[in-house]
Amino acid sequence: MAASNSFYDLYRHGSLGTTLTDALDELIGDESIAPQLAMKVLTQFDRVVAETLQEKVKSRLTFKGSLDTYRFCDEVWTFLIRNVTFKMDGNQGQVVADKVKIVSCSAKRNDDK
Amino acid sequence: MADSNQVDRNRDISPELETLEYQPDWPVPQVQNFVATANLDCRIDLYHLSQQARNVEYRPRRLAAVIMRIRDPRTTALIFASGKMVVIGAKSEALARLAARKHAYAVQKCGYKPKFLDFKIQNIVASVNVGFNVRLEGLANRYHAVGARYVPEIFPGLSFKQYLGNNADGSPRSSPTLLIFTSGKIVVTGAKTEDDVKVSFGRVYPLLFDFRFDSDPTSTTK
Repeated sequence: MAASNSFYDLYRHGSLGTTLTDALDELIGDESIAPQLAMKVLTQFDRVVAETLQEKVKSRLTFKGSLDTYRFCDEVWTFLIRNVTFKMDGNQGQVVADKVKIVSCSAKRNDDK
Repeated sequence: MADSNQVDRNRDISPELETLEYQPDWPVPQVQNFVATANLDCRIDLYHLSQQARNVEYRPRRLAAVIMRIRDPRTTALIFASGKMVVIGAKSEALARLAARKHAYAVQKCGYKPKFLDFKIQNIVASVNVGFNVRLEGLANRYHAVGARYVPEIFPGLSFKQYLGNNADGSPRSSPTLLIFTSGKIVVTGAKTEDDVKVSFGRVYPLLFDFRFDSDPTSTTK
């Protein structure tokens, strides 16, 4: 997780990140952009997502389920939870899932303020 | 004055107590926790183990061991790179052994070839309630010379270390400590066998009656 930039790159694995990566790969294939530019875009993406989630996102989510397994290694938590119910702000309905995997990094990085 | 700091392990307060047997109507300490160690006799790459095994934590800067938990028996194990292991939380000697084997199996599933050497119970913790309040200060005053310690500013319980002497073959027995509280609740810790638990409690229980006190007779709390 410790990359050459000071933000986590784990958001690249979400829906938004993978779509961006696919689009950039296509542009590189067409030779419309240089690979270094794509790298810069992704690094910018890391920073923007991290900052936006931290500052702009206020909604809350709670969830309940049974913990199947846990792991803590390299300062990263990985949880596998079964029979999960997610609830958004208020009674806007809920989402259920059989298996949920949560990968979680510390909000404080040791090289950050 | 120097002598009063020394504990005379051989002196008994009362000769009759030496031969006093454990009475059947006396309360029996309930074992709560067993701590055991075992040697898997194989070098382990802790980083690799923390990535392969389930339900593990590894914080190398904090502790040079992988912390693994299993659900049945519900126990926590500390596994070291040397292959040595500590297993905590089992409720009986047999369960401690079973748990240690399950932890060893988890290590095996990660590609190692563990053995199961030198399994040993290192500590047994038990608790008991004598059912009456105890005047700790009086108890400490009488038995200070044989190991009773009571400093309420430091800790609200009286600690009473028991020296059980040797086994029949000459090997030393464990020295369990009893933590006695005003409520009459007692914790026995430091024993290596369940018999040591019972014997050490049996030595102290009769001594408590001289310091029994009943606080508020109309109180509903026991």
